[in-house]
Amino acid sequence: MESVIEIRDLFHAYGAGKKKWEALRGITLTVKKGGIFGFLGPNGAGKTTTIKLLLGILTPQIGTLSVFGGIPAIPRTRMKIGYMPEIADYYRYLTPGELLYMYGDIFGIDRKILTGRINELLEMVGISESAGRQMRTFSRGMKQKVSFAQALINDPDLLILDEPTGGLDPIARKKMREVMISLRDKNKTVFFSSHELSEVELVSDRVAILNKGRVLKEGLLSGFLSAKGEKQTLEGYFLEIIEGSEKG
Amino acid sequence: MRAIAAIVRGMFLELLRKKDFYVLFILMLVLLGFLSAQTFFDIEGISRYMRDFGYTLVMLLSFIVCVTFSARQIPSEIESGTVYPFLAKPVSRSMLVSGKFCGAVMISAITFTLYFGVFVLFCFTEAGRAEAILLIQSFLFGIMFLSVASALTVFFSVFLTTSANVAITFLIYFFMISFSDLLRDAVLAGKGIETLGLGVVYYLLPHFDFFDLRVRLTHAWDPLPLWVVAAVTAYTVVYCAGLLFFAGRLFGRKKL
Repeated sequence: MESVIEIRDLFHAYGAGKKKWEALRGITLTVKKGGIFGFLGPNGAGKTTTIKLLLGILTPQIGTLSVFGGIPAIPRTRMKIGYMPEIADYYRYLTPGELLYMYGDIFGIDRKILTGRINELLEMVGISESAGRQMRTFSRGMKQKVSFAQALINDPDLLILDEPTGGLDPIARKKMREVMISLRDKNKTVFFSSHELSEVELVSDRVAILNKGRVLKEGLLSGFLSAKGEKQTLEGYFLEIIEGSEKG
Repeated sequence: MRAIAAIVRGMFLELLRKKDFYVLFILMLVLLGFLSAQTFFDIEGISRYMRDFGYTLVMLLSFIVCVTFSARQIPSEIESGTVYPFLAKPVSRSMLVSGKFCGAVMISAITFTLYFGVFVLFCFTEAGRAEAILLIQSFLFGIMFLSVASALTVFFSVFLTTSANVAITFLIYFFMISFSDLLRDAVLAGKGIETLGLGVVYYLLPHFDFFDLRVRLTHAWDPLPLWVVAAVTAYTVVYCAGLLFFAGRLFGRKKL
């Protein structure tokens, strides 16, 4: 199967000298096309740093990484990527429709197609009734919905979500899961980091568990959960792996 | 280009929906209206005084809108986290900087056009041909002045906070408007290493004084020769391009 993300021996540190902090310590990871990949780890594990590197927002210091075979720092590599950040307080004086129009324009989407797509996305995330309101009046959950919609504006082949479910109500979470599954069914790839292990368990095919900048486990979720011969939860497995790494 | 146009449109909508622009516009109307009322009492020289004051007011208020608007663009993108979904799209960091500059120039140009229009209505109701040419030159110089101010503010916004950026840009503006002649004389009269230092300061700082046609307008002098207009235009283009180049390079290296 064709790989969408290839990461090899990736190191990344912030600061220098005594203040140097290694966020990634040589991670290697491959994400194949057409699946939902859960990227898990406690706070400070290096998840967001990895995502920033995948989006070309940071550049690798040591190691290599490619997305769709290209270097993410080159803008055209990002044509087929959709990204939803953990927190973003979108332009407060714009309406969700105007925001999506602006982002759609950046992708060079035909304006007639774009208008239809914006209506479709606003309907899908459930904020079409508030489409004419400026976003400064939105709650956190509503902003998250707009954030999810903007990540889908270019009909991406790779959707990267950083802690996407924070602030969302159960209905919106369900909707988000359905979208992720529908993307997988279209042979598209979803790469998402989350602390909400129950969410990850519901949708992921493969997972990687990260701690202190290293990948501790990577593989099929079903394989991890049935490895001991008895079914266990992802949370139980996750805690076992993380606590084991802390002791060892 | 569509990416830059998209950024500019977003900034334009923000200008329309914020109060700053309208508050300053009303303030200008009130001040000019008050001054023009004085002409009814036949105060000698009030017309010149009005032109002087009106022009200063237009430039200052447009400068305030330009600087406060441009200064917060990049820092607020970083603080609010919108810079991440933005840069995750097929745009380079230089394009983001260029888009912010174009947006700032457009916002400033719209503001200036409106304010300048009001100023002309109040102070030049019976302008002759020479004065009309001078007014057109003043308008062009005003746009160029705001372009340099936008470029400087966008450049500073890559590494300064909004408040520090606004304070420094205003200090440079008042310094250059008030002391650039003194600085030039010191450069010309000095010798040795001091002159070199002063020369660097003199040529690096933006010459806002080049764009100031207040005295010429107030006293209804002749319009500027064409070569002066061309030279100031060339200066504006080179200065803005230089600042944007360095802003793009610095923002490209910034860890986000």
